[in-house]
Amino acid sequence: MTLLSALLRRTALGVATLFVVSVLIFVGTSILPGDVANIILGQMATPESLAALRTKLGLDEPAHIRYLIWLSDLLSGDLGFSKAGAGTGTVGTPISEMLMPRLINTIRLGGAVAIVAVPFAVTIGLLAAMYPGTRLDRFVTFTTLGLISVPEFLVATLLVLVIAVQLGWLPATAYISGQETGLKLVRALAMPALTLVIVASSQIMRMTRATVLNVMNSPYIEMAILKGVPRRRIILRHALLNAIGPIANVIALNLAYLVSGVVVVETIFAYPGLAKLMIDAVQTRDLPLVQACAMIFCATYIVLIFIADMVSILSNPRLRHPK
Amino acid sequence: MKDIRKFQQMYRDGRMGRRDFMAALGALGVGTAAAAGFLTSAKALAATPQKGGTARYANNLHGPDDQMDPMVFTSGIDYTRGRATYNGLIQMVDGMVLAPELAEEWSANADATEYTFKIRKGVEFHDGSALTADDVAWTMSRHIGEESPSTAKALLAAITEWKVMDSHTVKAMLSSPDSDLPAKLTEKQMKIVKMGTEDFRKGNGTGPFVLESFEPGVRSTHVRNANYWREGANFDALEITGITDPLARANALIAGDVDLINQVNAKSIALVESSETARVISTPTSAYTGICILKNTAPGENDDFVKAMQYIQDRDRIVRSILKGHGTVGNDHPVGPAFGPDHCSELPIREFDPDKAKFHLDKSGVTAAELFVAPVRLGIEEISLLMQANLKKIGFDLTIRKVPSDGYWGAVWMKEPMNVVSWNMRPTANAQLAIQFAPHGNWNDTFWHNDRMGELLKAQLAETDEAKRHAMLCEMQTLVHNGSGMVIPAHVNEVDGASNKIHGIPTVPFGALGAYEWVEFAWMEA
Repeated sequence: MTLLSALLRRTALGVATLFVVSVLIFVGTSILPGDVANIILGQMATPESLAALRTKLGLDEPAHIRYLIWLSDLLSGDLGFSKAGAGTGTVGTPISEMLMPRLINTIRLGGAVAIVAVPFAVTIGLLAAMYPGTRLDRFVTFTTLGLISVPEFLVATLLVLVIAVQLGWLPATAYISGQETGLKLVRALAMPALTLVIVASSQIMRMTRATVLNVMNSPYIEMAILKGVPRRRIILRHALLNAIGPIANVIALNLAYLVSGVVVVETIFAYPGLAKLMIDAVQTRDLPLVQACAMIFCATYIVLIFIADMVSILSNPRLRHPK
Repeated sequence: MKDIRKFQQMYRDGRMGRRDFMAALGALGVGTAAAAGFLTSAKALAATPQKGGTARYANNLHGPDDQMDPMVFTSGIDYTRGRATYNGLIQMVDGMVLAPELAEEWSANADATEYTFKIRKGVEFHDGSALTADDVAWTMSRHIGEESPSTAKALLAAITEWKVMDSHTVKAMLSSPDSDLPAKLTEKQMKIVKMGTEDFRKGNGTGPFVLESFEPGVRSTHVRNANYWREGANFDALEITGITDPLARANALIAGDVDLINQVNAKSIALVESSETARVISTPTSAYTGICILKNTAPGENDDFVKAMQYIQDRDRIVRSILKGHGTVGNDHPVGPAFGPDHCSELPIREFDPDKAKFHLDKSGVTAAELFVAPVRLGIEEISLLMQANLKKIGFDLTIRKVPSDGYWGAVWMKEPMNVVSWNMRPTANAQLAIQFAPHGNWNDTFWHNDRMGELLKAQLAETDEAKRHAMLCEMQTLVHNGSGMVIPAHVNEVDGASNKIHGIPTVPFGALGAYEWVEFAWMEA
């Protein structure tokens, strides 16, 4: 009963958040200097050609009208057309057509990273928590702190320099056409995935270690120790289950970041994903495309954090059965 | 051995003569007979283009605004796709010579106000329909009119009408003489499309490659047009994409993931040059970057202030240190030495002279100024900083305001009293002068309106005597050099990269890799 009502409340809140975000994005993009017509014509614009192009692209309507048109289209399931590619009265590319291949690419990369990074990071984090103060723990703490502090473009560039240019093992760009399967796909994804695994797992490792160690200070753990339960059993049966909430949250945040925040990695490896598409869309002031990307990113955060919250509720009997 | 291969490559690219090649090998300690052997092998390779292979090209810019409509082409990736998919009426080949393309021949009346073009027969679009005069007239008419969004319409402003005379003859009617028209028609935007085309994303052209797939901001694939009207391309297929990060682009070239790239930046040049797999191709052009000082407002309305900003440019150092030698010294007018005889070599270069700069600054009475800088072209930020440092030495504080290049042309350019600007090379010296300096023109970004300049721009287009044409061009360059608000410290080379397996890239200075002509003429060593 509580789960169902939480689900409903969360869904309503999620929709409201999406709406607020869409307004903010629309206003934000409109404040930027210039519009699509400016960007398409660039240095070669004249007042007459600008006015003509604006009319063609439907930009001569006031902003609030354009927003309402976009909103009603969205509610009827139509994402609209990209304005930037439209140029000269040509029909623009439908946004759904532009988004789908990118979305698949992003999910592919994010999925590959998650499959490797999450089990790896949680295991190492637990190992470090099991043997705090040992050489293993110190090594994990220091390297993860170091890797978190190194910006990902540096990690990526170093990997390219060593693995692609010096050793020639893997391609320097992760260029994928969509037709690759099996080993070819793995080769294309390997470099960006490796970069992101390094960046994402460091955080998950540290969080796992910290929360588990934190729980280890609780009185009931002391009790378990006193009654002679082996340390491994204490961590896996008593501490981990109680630490799952925060761990699930940091994993969710990292996964959401893999969908929306990996523009640097996408740029360096020329990987056609969603984050790069959104940056390009902002640069061309292509409002419908910006909005579509923003909606996907926002929805990803909402859904992932919702799942993380559900996991922590389910793992905690006190939250499962509130008084 | 690596050096020998490098010189062989330069010889094949036409960047080194036979004599230089022998001398270079001699310097490496190679005997004359052996050197002659290397020369022969280089020559053999140069002479026999091979068919086949897929050429993969990575451009520095791409995005959802990639176009297949030639009229609104704006970036190297559009131009490359355009060269593969379409043809123009006239093309520019090695050494800036005009050659027939879809127009078999063309002629002008005595005062260059009426041009007749004979359109090639038997040419088919990729959809199988025949090319006729209607297609040509329809395509070219799209560039005319105030509301036309064409990014090249300034070049064709004199044309009032394109007339279809018969199925394969068109006439261009001009309101004023333009002896440069054939050269202007080689511009990348003037590619011929099918009459009535609405959806350009299909890329229905007559070009050497048929567009197979086109995803804006991702990539495009092209296959050789089996039905091409002349011998056609050497590659079986093209893959065109973008890698925006300069270092990633250079790495992809060196690692062999792509075969050709544009815009090798100063930091990557050494990286590519030291590799065994790829080379840098640097071509002098008349493209330039510089500082635009508005003449209709303070401080630029004061001539002495402009003079000071021009004398403070350490031009040699800019070319040597900032452009790493991949440029030529500029002389505060837009027609660089790359224009050959049209460049006014009689006009002495304005040398770096802090004393004169100080003299003019004191005379102007200006005590502070603010320069808006965005990375509109490689090197401009460093040029601005060098200028700021040199001004500081003579006691003047120039404030530099860094702004993003995103939205720059709408928000800063032609608005702020001092800003930076970047202009590409135009097809003729007259067009290069006209776009930025025609009085009251749309793009007169220093707001310098000189009547004599306007007269000369028109008169030079009507003049057919070579000596007089040059004298007029020289006078215009001198006028800009002395009067406008432009500071042009350097012309920048087109610096691109290619795999050592790619040969036969033409030398045309109007864009990347032989102004995109590599698409049809280059070939790949199997």
